[in-house]
Amino acid sequence: MTRRRGHRTPLPPPVFALAMVAIAFFALPFIGLLWRAPWGSMLDVLGQESVRTALWLSLRTSFAATFFAVLFGVPLAWLLARVPFTGSSAVRALCILSMVLPPVVGGVALFFSFGRRGLFGQYLDRWFDIQLPFTTSGVVVAQTFVSMPFLVITVEAALRQMDRRYEDAARTLGASRWYVFRRVTVPAIQPALVAGAVLAWARALGEFGATITFAGNFPGTTQTMPLATYLALETNPEEALVISLLLIAVSFAVLIGLRDRWLNGARAAFT
Amino acid sequence: MSLDAQVAVQVGDFELDVELDVGPGEVLAVLGPNGSGKSTLLRTLAGLTPIDRGHIRVDDVVLDDPAADTFVPPEQRPIGVVFQDYLLFAHLSAVENVAFGLRARGVDKREARAIAASWLDRVGLADLAAMRPAQLSGGQAQRVALARALATDPAMLLLDEPLAALDVSARQDVRRTLREHLSTFDGTRLLVTHDPIDAYALADRVAILEGGRIAQTGTIAEVTAHPRSRYVAELVGTNLMRGVVTDGVLTTDSGAHVVVAADPGPVFAVIRPQAITLSLTADPTSSARNIWHGVVGDIERLGDRARVGVRGPLPVIAEITTAALDALGLRPGDDVYASLKATDITTYPA
Repeated sequence: MTRRRGHRTPLPPPVFALAMVAIAFFALPFIGLLWRAPWGSMLDVLGQESVRTALWLSLRTSFAATFFAVLFGVPLAWLLARVPFTGSSAVRALCILSMVLPPVVGGVALFFSFGRRGLFGQYLDRWFDIQLPFTTSGVVVAQTFVSMPFLVITVEAALRQMDRRYEDAARTLGASRWYVFRRVTVPAIQPALVAGAVLAWARALGEFGATITFAGNFPGTTQTMPLATYLALETNPEEALVISLLLIAVSFAVLIGLRDRWLNGARAAFT
Repeated sequence: MSLDAQVAVQVGDFELDVELDVGPGEVLAVLGPNGSGKSTLLRTLAGLTPIDRGHIRVDDVVLDDPAADTFVPPEQRPIGVVFQDYLLFAHLSAVENVAFGLRARGVDKREARAIAASWLDRVGLADLAAMRPAQLSGGQAQRVALARALATDPAMLLLDEPLAALDVSARQDVRRTLREHLSTFDGTRLLVTHDPIDAYALADRVAILEGGRIAQTGTIAEVTAHPRSRYVAELVGTNLMRGVVTDGVLTTDSGAHVVVAADPGPVFAVIRPQAITLSLTADPTSSARNIWHGVVGDIERLGDRARVGVRGPLPVIAEITTAALDALGLRPGDDVYASLKATDITTYPA
């Protein structure tokens, strides 16, 4: 066997040590959680109606939020990446503001604009009979609000990096702009699209602050897993542990499940 | 099947302003180095860059005419393009790539694939229909790109540096196959290249592009025999100089004196590199009327020939066999004598 010397270059010891600290920093909390987990009563807790309801609600709302993030986020990313207009950097800053904003602040802002007495919410209520606060739709709105920026910045970067000559080639072959977008642009940015959607979904699944502020904490309608976890921590720490483990397991399973698809997508990208 | 184009367009600081006519069934090569505007020209013809002034007509159909407010978008032009690097869609197989244009025009999937398969067969790649572009060699990818461009039955075919993406060893073979395939397409063909050999091999006529303007057009024999600028001469490999003839002596702009057989007056002089003899000593008994001392500059080996730059009062490129080069043992920086018969200098009035 040949020794691949180049691939075996050791890291400088201080860098290696710091990297190990970083790994430990991520691993230790999980170890602590697993160590305290009430393995014996796990199934009982999982079987509880309240936990199953919260899990089901969380899955539904987070996937709905991801759907809306993709539906509106891809066109937004396309606009930001491809259409030069004055004030585009201000628009971009506005659209990703909720990513860096404390989620509670986002929730307060949503409440005063889309609440029943909010600036716009009053018309939603009066004209369309739509009430967002304290409803499951409100949860989806809050989650979409905080998660869409992850998709937008990932997809925008991919659109900027992609070799646009492929789109030119498609047009000379007789493809309309829409056909080019569907058959050339989207496949080219697919890895970034998947990555952005996963990031957005993970953010939506973990959403707490904006949800509890805007949608409240009603079991069955707005009490998602993170809310249930926080509440359980005060009354029944064992349950909080189990729900946390469940959230970790779900997130981990999705990340692992998407890994192959990610890699395949990356290979197909036009570079 | 003809192209009539007068293209003026400003892209950033660069201005392209050219007039081109390509007759029915003709192959025109637009020859120029990087930055001369070749790709911009192709983009305007394909409709990817609208022109500012002028017109583009294919078979008397106006595709772009800003004055008449006419602009046909690229997807509606009867033009196929083979791009530099071929730009095959990486997520589609070879046959799906060829079928792309048909599918985009609404041909149903099965029919489009059948037509695409027959095109792949025509370019000799029937076996590779299921391959992804990443699995194809450069020459194969080029043929897929050609089939893809022709599958929609265009009236005109544009080729952007069709051989530049290939390594030198593959280029010769691919050039020959490309020539065969191009000859089976009876529409108008226009290719842009920086390599004169591609132009010689593939085209009937050549237009030399320099800084966004056409420096010269003509058949290849015309342009090499009578280049009208130093730029064209260098591009097509001849020595061209400008000067004034008085009493059978040409005084070049660089100040050298060369004996010529020409009428007095300002002239262009062309010296074929093959006409220049190199030796280590000056032979006074030679019939060559011009013998001068120079210093060897760059040496470029091209197969069994070598092009030797000779620096001195009359800077020229001499082409000798590599055997002669080795026998003389010439290296850059060596002293050398160049000789040239007066009758080997072609002049024409400037």
